[in-house]
Amino acid sequence: MQKVGIVGYYQVKLYSDANYGRYEMIFEASRGALDKAGLKKKDISTVISCTNDYYDGRTISNCFTVEVGGGYMADESKVEMDGAHAVLYGLMRVLSGNHNLAVVWGGSMASCYPYHAARLYETDPTWERPLAYVNDITSAGFQMRAYMEKYGVTAEEIAKVVVKNKKNAAKNPLALEEAQLANLSVKDVLNSGIYADPVTELMVAPPCDSVAALLLAPEKQALKITDKPVWIKGVGYNQDAYYLGDRDLSGCKSMNLAAKMAYSAAGIKDPSSEIDVAELFEAYAHEELIFAEELGFADKGKGAEINSAINGDLPINPSGGALGGNPPCGTGLIRVIEAVKQLTGEAGEYQVKGAKKAVASGQIGMCAQNNILYVLEGN
Amino acid sequence: MSKMTQRKSLEYIKKDYKRTRTLPGSWYLASYKFKFNITHMKPFLEKLKEKKLIANQCSSCNRVFFPPRLVCGKCFVKPDKWVDIRDTASVSTYAISYLKDPETGEVQQRPMVLVHHDGADTTSIAELAPDVNVKDTYVGMPIKVHWRDERTGGIMDIEYYDKVDDDSDDLRYKK
Ligand SMILES: [Zn+2]
Repeated sequence: MQKVGIVGYYQVKLYSDANYGRYEMIFEASRGALDKAGLKKKDISTVISCTNDYYDGRTISNCFTVEVGGGYMADESKVEMDGAHAVLYGLMRVLSGNHNLAVVWGGSMASCYPYHAARLYETDPTWERPLAYVNDITSAGFQMRAYMEKYGVTAEEIAKVVVKNKKNAAKNPLALEEAQLANLSVKDVLNSGIYADPVTELMVAPPCDSVAALLLAPEKQALKITDKPVWIKGVGYNQDAYYLGDRDLSGCKSMNLAAKMAYSAAGIKDPSSEIDVAELFEAYAHEELIFAEELGFADKGKGAEINSAINGDLPINPSGGALGGNPPCGTGLIRVIEAVKQLTGEAGEYQVKGAKKAVASGQIGMCAQNNILYVLEGN
Repeated sequence: MSKMTQRKSLEYIKKDYKRTRTLPGSWYLASYKFKFNITHMKPFLEKLKEKKLIANQCSSCNRVFFPPRLVCGKCFVKPDKWVDIRDTASVSTYAISYLKDPETGEVQQRPMVLVHHDGADTTSIAELAPDVNVKDTYVGMPIKVHWRDERTGGIMDIEYYDKVDDDSDDLRYKK
């Protein structure tokens, strides 16, 4: 694969109810990324956004973001999935050879709409909706129980993921304030409000407001823009069956296949020794363990045994992950940005020492139906 | 000057925002006609009236789909065989939902389950009978279809699933 570099980024701080207008937030992210890279509007040749019509309260939701996202009189398009999928679209645009700079931005404001209620409308209207009340949280309950049951994983082990990520979030100034919990205990997690047993409130990535932006450039351009580009060495993506009943919920096959694809592109043979840090989009705490296993960091059912703290053997979500705040359409993009920060040494208090290779993932759908994984490497 | 199109007022929510205001709007796509194919499930719907269950099978990969699927995603062909399956099933996995009645405020505990019918390769979303104690629910619990008295040939003919006595050997290990 021709080398494509990440040459800039910007993330608006996560808020549960941001004192921002939608336009201003998008502008802050896109302009911020451009400023950080020392570029101008005229340098932009393509803009890929990730938003959702429902979440934005209007149809063709990229029509109103043209000016604030930098798309005015430029090549512009939208992905209605996760921000990490928008990075893939941007990457493809750059690989086409027609573009020297792609702006990829994504995010929404969950304070403006009922996020989990909206996801109730994700189930099949003819077969599933009439039968039972199932939204993303209920289906996460299905998955968490199937995973625990198959491998004998305990709720405490899953709660430990929450404790770790919220503690990491406390070191990340851009994480959601409500999620920055340095002194959380396993007991607190298990005793927090039950959402869909066995899933408790603190195991759910809290929907919030934010927008993030990322800049992509082909190799030659990237080296002109910055002396610290981060290279996309491999990408893999995969889509599992729509019906929950057609899938093995105790694992995540689409993540497994996405990882295989990304690893083969990047030439990764032994992920647990070659990867220095992972930023994974865990919409629910148990997903982090399932993903870690599918990524080859541990055997099936043994995800909880990885020492994934910031100074551990294989740090996972040092930024706090999605449990540190989940702005719909932005979360996967933020994972990519956080992995970039680790590789350029800009992660501050949650910097993983000597990180050279990282993976970042994005997902969409119930029980992480669709997964995308990037292998990134510092210059 | 014409005042015909002049905007009279805007009802803002006055909250302690410094830089923004919130304008309540509606974006509620409540009305939609879901158009779906019944050709592939007509025999299944007809059988429901007789309290019988059938599933369709892909003759390429032999997977048995319940409820019937239009297309086998794996082989990218239409399943072309019908097979009988039993009305007995087991709980594949479940989550307990807490549903609040908007009028009384009463919270109901309801287990939402993925049901694995004996003879099928897929599971389906369902609810258990109201008399099943959520605390007694477990993965692998045997259950059975509870038919609606008046059946119309639709998926709702399966009202919910009743608990069946579990005489399996591994139960004593389970508890
Ligand atoms: Zn097939």
